[in-house]
Amino acid sequence: MDQRQANSLIMTVNEKKFIESALLSDIRVDGRRPFDYRNLTIRFGSEDGSSEVQLGHTQVIGFVSAQLIQPYRDRPTEGTFAIYIEFSPMADPSFEAGRPGETAVELGQIVDRGLRESRAIDTESLCVVAGKLVWSIRIDLHIIDNGGNLVDAANIAALAALSTFRRPECTFGGEDGQEVIVNPPDLWEPLPLIIHHLPVAVTFGFIGKENNVVIDPTHYEEAVMGGSMTATLNTNGDICAIQKAGGDGVLQSVIMQCLRIASVKAGDITSKIKNAGSIDVAKYHMERLTLGSDVSTAGHSNMEIGSQSNERDETNKKNTTAKGFSGRPASWDPYSRGVDGDALKASLASRVTAPPDKHIKSSRQVKADVAKSSQRSSDTNSFQEAKKIGLQTDESKTLKDAVKPRQKRRINKSTSNSAAT
Amino acid sequence: MEAKPSSNLSSKFVDQVVVPGDVILDLSSMANQTIKLGGGLRQDGDSISVMKAGTLRFTKPNKYWVESSHKRYVPCAGDNVLGVVVDTKPENFLVDIRGPALAFLPVLAFEGGTRRNIPKFEVGTLLYVRVVNANTGMNPELSCMDASGKAAEYGVLKEGYMFESSTGLSRMLLSSPPYPVLEALGKKLSFEIAVGINGCFWVNASQSSTVILVGNAIQKSESLSMVQQKIYLEKLLKSIQ
Repeated sequence: MDQRQANSLIMTVNEKKFIESALLSDIRVDGRRPFDYRNLTIRFGSEDGSSEVQLGHTQVIGFVSAQLIQPYRDRPTEGTFAIYIEFSPMADPSFEAGRPGETAVELGQIVDRGLRESRAIDTESLCVVAGKLVWSIRIDLHIIDNGGNLVDAANIAALAALSTFRRPECTFGGEDGQEVIVNPPDLWEPLPLIIHHLPVAVTFGFIGKENNVVIDPTHYEEAVMGGSMTATLNTNGDICAIQKAGGDGVLQSVIMQCLRIASVKAGDITSKIKNAGSIDVAKYHMERLTLGSDVSTAGHSNMEIGSQSNERDETNKKNTTAKGFSGRPASWDPYSRGVDGDALKASLASRVTAPPDKHIKSSRQVKADVAKSSQRSSDTNSFQEAKKIGLQTDESKTLKDAVKPRQKRRINKSTSNSAAT
Repeated sequence: MEAKPSSNLSSKFVDQVVVPGDVILDLSSMANQTIKLGGGLRQDGDSISVMKAGTLRFTKPNKYWVESSHKRYVPCAGDNVLGVVVDTKPENFLVDIRGPALAFLPVLAFEGGTRRNIPKFEVGTLLYVRVVNANTGMNPELSCMDASGKAAEYGVLKEGYMFESSTGLSRMLLSSPPYPVLEALGKKLSFEIAVGINGCFWVNASQSSTVILVGNAIQKSESLSMVQQKIYLEKLLKSIQ
């Protein structure tokens, strides 16, 4: 009885009164205004599909893995995905090891609903053999520090991990051509998941009787708030999910205001995830090159995801790539050997080079920044030549050819903009 | 805590970093004198050895203790702490002082306290109390009076907000000469502050923004050096003007 009382957060009456009275003057205990988010940091691990998100004091680790399984009977051509949440006891004194409690299950359901109902992950592309083998994606989220607002942080960790995850490429082989061979990642370039949009969760807390609304509550505010609402939306203006489980009643006008604010915040967070992801993609490519492997189609498909973002994102990337670079160039990585310029040029000289310039321009912007900061400007040219080669070998693919012409036009616009400025 | 004969020489480890197992005093070579041992020290027969890693401190005439900075507080007799009432029993209030166990505050431990005027504290009341005794394994005992039986600033803290810090920061806030951050803030702003050695402090002012400013400034200043603190405070106070 003693221990369990000591484990839960005991709030003084002073704190509750103070939080409410401070909100009347539009200020919160950590100095934020009611609709300010805390600092968001997104980092990626060394493995594909691992992410670490820090939102103020809250820390969440996400990890994505994939496995081949038999599909469900009623959906023979779709892959599956599942979310597993673990509340580590080191995050909060009230978390206990073992089976997830009520809040953990609810958190998992919010993140799952945001991804599943809105069909953010393309499950049809996960099919290998219809009715027999599909990819099953498993998203593990570990809460390692509870500073409040676990839902948003866990959602961002899941999205970041999904966007950097690469699954192995499968080919048919064997004697009769019916056997499925899962190709190891060091021989065949692994493929990213097809993610149509990023559903971002934004949580609001309702404190006090006058319906004071705060965004991104800390765990002190969570202890005093009367109710909370989580809205999951994307930058296309779709509301993917809303969760308001019990708590104080809220006026309809307040809900509409919250949704409007949430869409603005979702845009910010989406661009942060994409920026962090594009820097990781750049580092990923530098590493693939330095390991001496053939640059293949995956390079092109990654740039596809990057270039599908609208022009605003592209200028954001130009401006913020250098600043947002989290300081992980391959130069200090003890396992990267660095690009051997001469050997690379010799191997490239034996190939045909007739590059589509539009793709190069966008890649050059991102790669140039990265190359500068890792002090390998001499290798930039050979790097770009290698990119051209990568883009060449995808002529045989079918889906991408269909999509290409539209992209060329988009990138034409952005490069003409950059040329004009 | 314990009295034992000692000599005039203070230990050569004073103001140095010590780790558990270090013997700081050998009593066999000392004359009839009393020394007082504070937190982090233990008597093993004739030698005084260290239990907690930290810096060894000494004040005249004869008090030794080990200072270290943690987020978790280990109760020690004589400390002034902030506590939150968790439960009420017929004989005691159960108070959380952020230590390993809940502490007991007897209902009569108030100035002029009798069975007829027992104070009524609701759950969540913030109190400034003194630790009377804290033996390992037992719940610590508290009191709202000083040693002579007067109220002396102990009791309920109303309004304001309680901020968390570490035990090291609390000690710095209570040190004399006064903590430079407190001095600088006190020159420009008027506020009330109560510091508990158990890693929390309470701030109250007429405006909520002042409370938030003072609390966050103190919390942030813990990891800054003297020079950085000065710069940070200058910028902060300028932005208020």
